[in-house]
Amino acid sequence: MSDAPARVVFTAGFSNRYTNGVREFEVTAKNLRGVIRAMDEMFPGLGTHLEEETTVAINGELHETGYFQTVPPGAEVFFIPRLEGG
Amino acid sequence: MNDSVIVSDSVKKFKWIGTRPIRPDGVPKVTGRALYGADLKLPGMIYGKVLRSPHAHARIKKIDTSKAEALKGVKAVVTAKDLPEQKFEYIGPERVAVNFWHVTRNILAREKALYEGHAIAAVAAVSASIAEEAAALIEVEYEVLPHVIDVDEAMAPDAPLLFEDMVTRGMDGGKPSNIAKRLEFKMGDLDAGFAQADVVIEKEFKTAAVHQAYIEPHACVAKMEADGQGEIWSSSQGHFQMRALTAQILGVKIGDLRVTPAEIGGGFGGKTVTYLEPVAALLSRKAGLPVRLQMTREEVFKASGPTSGSSMWAKVGVTKDGKIVAGDVILKFQAGAFPGSPVMNACLCAFSPYDIPNARAVGYDVVSNRPKAAAYRAPGSPIGHFAVESVIDMCAKAIGMDPLDLRIKNVAGIGTPTIAGPKHAHAGFRETLEALRNHPGYKAKLGKNQGRGVACGYWFNGGGESSATFQLNADGTVLVATGSPDIGGSRASMALMAAETLGVDYDQVRAIVADTGSVGYTHVTGGSRVTFATGAAVVTATKSAIKELCKRAAMIWDVDPEGVVWEDGHAKPAGSNVGDFKPLSVKELAAKAAATGGPITTSAGVNAGAQAPGFSAQFCDLEVDPETGHVTILRYVVAQDVGKAIHPSYVEGQMQGGVVQGIGWALNEEYIYNSKGLLDNAGFLDYRCPVASDVPMIETILVEVPNPAHPYGVKGVGEANICPPMAAIACAIEQATGKRMTELPMSPPRLLAALSEG
Repeated sequence: MSDAPARVVFTAGFSNRYTNGVREFEVTAKNLRGVIRAMDEMFPGLGTHLEEETTVAINGELHETGYFQTVPPGAEVFFIPRLEGG
Repeated sequence: MNDSVIVSDSVKKFKWIGTRPIRPDGVPKVTGRALYGADLKLPGMIYGKVLRSPHAHARIKKIDTSKAEALKGVKAVVTAKDLPEQKFEYIGPERVAVNFWHVTRNILAREKALYEGHAIAAVAAVSASIAEEAAALIEVEYEVLPHVIDVDEAMAPDAPLLFEDMVTRGMDGGKPSNIAKRLEFKMGDLDAGFAQADVVIEKEFKTAAVHQAYIEPHACVAKMEADGQGEIWSSSQGHFQMRALTAQILGVKIGDLRVTPAEIGGGFGGKTVTYLEPVAALLSRKAGLPVRLQMTREEVFKASGPTSGSSMWAKVGVTKDGKIVAGDVILKFQAGAFPGSPVMNACLCAFSPYDIPNARAVGYDVVSNRPKAAAYRAPGSPIGHFAVESVIDMCAKAIGMDPLDLRIKNVAGIGTPTIAGPKHAHAGFRETLEALRNHPGYKAKLGKNQGRGVACGYWFNGGGESSATFQLNADGTVLVATGSPDIGGSRASMALMAAETLGVDYDQVRAIVADTGSVGYTHVTGGSRVTFATGAAVVTATKSAIKELCKRAAMIWDVDPEGVVWEDGHAKPAGSNVGDFKPLSVKELAAKAAATGGPITTSAGVNAGAQAPGFSAQFCDLEVDPETGHVTILRYVVAQDVGKAIHPSYVEGQMQGGVVQGIGWALNEEYIYNSKGLLDNAGFLDYRCPVASDVPMIETILVEVPNPAHPYGVKGVGEANICPPMAAIACAIEQATGKRMTELPMSPPRLLAALSEG
């Protein structure tokens, strides 16, 4: 099984606020908890922002940002602003 | 009759899924016995009344409640001073920009009254008439301030400011203004994209604020005890949400409140927020008695959230052969008196149905002296779609291409990037467009003064947290409890999914909506999420019950649980046990529950993800009376990707309801303010919603492209259908008259004025 890292992507606005404008990162993790932890190690406090402010798309599939979602090898993990419906 | 068509990619065959049983809440509703928010009467209950601002914008210098408190029969009077102050911070989802510093000021005004109808104080008395009399005795000293209603005027540098210290989030520096937030999303290279275009069309648009117009006004009963525990009965789209919001506003623990949902007479997003519950609880705490609080229709219009009005600009570039190469849109949304319009959703949805390599969406969230905007069915998306879909139609005409063919040529599919960033992960858009194009009516001839318009709409759909419990009764019947208020038929859908999973008849399953003390946390009924997410919880709980039933059968047969399988509603011996025992039915296992370990009850909590988006394509035939400007809808056909219709009648109802609301938004509905900033049409007589005689039977095409992430292929169906009608109708009017309408509503006076321009 490939250990290809996931490509983690933020929106421009989010990256400007929290990651010095850097939008893309490579992270090796089996689930979203691992992604959040890795990003929080790079930017302390970022994990909380991710959990509270974002929805995540893993290979395009939208999920609430939690810990348990599986991150397949080489996946695109795109954090976007959280959404609410009517 | 409804000429419904189901176009299905679903290969699975079901016994109950896809059938149309009678709705379980039907008899109480049609006989008038269903209990709504205002129907509950508790022993000792007293009646509340809210005093509201008569001004659009005023500083509150003094509130004197002494005369009201002295009136015989008055038990409590409250103002914002009775509520704890909240920290100024934006928390939670970006779209709604929840800031409890703002929320508490909307519940009861503090420094300023920010719109006509803004709650100032409240009283509770032994009768409704005494409460009303007491409210009138409260003396409020106002300093009336200049007001601003229109979004463009609110953005002007010299506009009166609602918050003198508010700076724009998303913009560096700058002085205070009414612009609460600026957003920008983009992909590709806009300049290069427009340079490739053979035709570039741009246009400005305006839409009016419109109300969700639910039939049932907001209503609740609160009963707070001396020990701090409290109970609330209310009509809302989420009793867990009402509990959390009320606890935060009052400054009490969530666990101290229990909220029971009443039947709900419509919500459409407008009942995901609270107005009355914290005030009723406050009054009850002060009076020591249960308090009922309900809005009049006038209060609903003046003090509860409509959706935003807007001012927009859209630009689209297309090649001669029909490839859309660039799109640009600027969306300015009214947030009402506090920040938090759905402009972000509009930015993210406007171009999402299409594969457009170069696109930008800029949004502004702007406060003005109107009631705070609340969610309304696909919040924000219909507004942005009105602008973008109208311009796409103009592009189609400019290059001489059928508007549906243009959309099919550019339709997004799996892997198409979106302006939000992620790529689309689900199919269904193309299938929906093709189903609409194949409708026999699409090529039907039109007469004089008649036109046909086409438009599409996209909505994310929701997932998230839901809970369900499964209880097996002694006679083998099943009770399924969820925390989702039933607005669109979810009790029937939950029962159908439980029956299908368990393998029993539908009439053996009863689905109920349980209170916050009786089932696990469940997010609101909104975002087209319930059948998907709560349905997943029901299926998970039912599967757990099946596992337990197999264990009980194994105990009865004295075999290992692995030696039992579940088929067709029966435990059957498997493997080496095949043929050794007679299968056991649910009823037989229920009868042995005590002997085999006790009650069979399971629960499930899920955070459901991988929801598929909603997509709807529609065409409308209409006729314009050139003498009056009146529009008659002749035919309306809606196609929608529904995943798998669990109960097709409810799905059709959602599609028809969304379209009818869109027709009202397009042709009649608007908030009309006078020069003093006061609402002139706060009633159904003057706020003109469509009634049955205004619309033809809306024809539905259910396109079933199942979502593989749901056990039964469900996709949310409640919202995408309201996105296209405004543009579809504008396009049809253009075809009928040659006039491109760019401002909503396209009411007879406005259309007549456009026609008279020649």
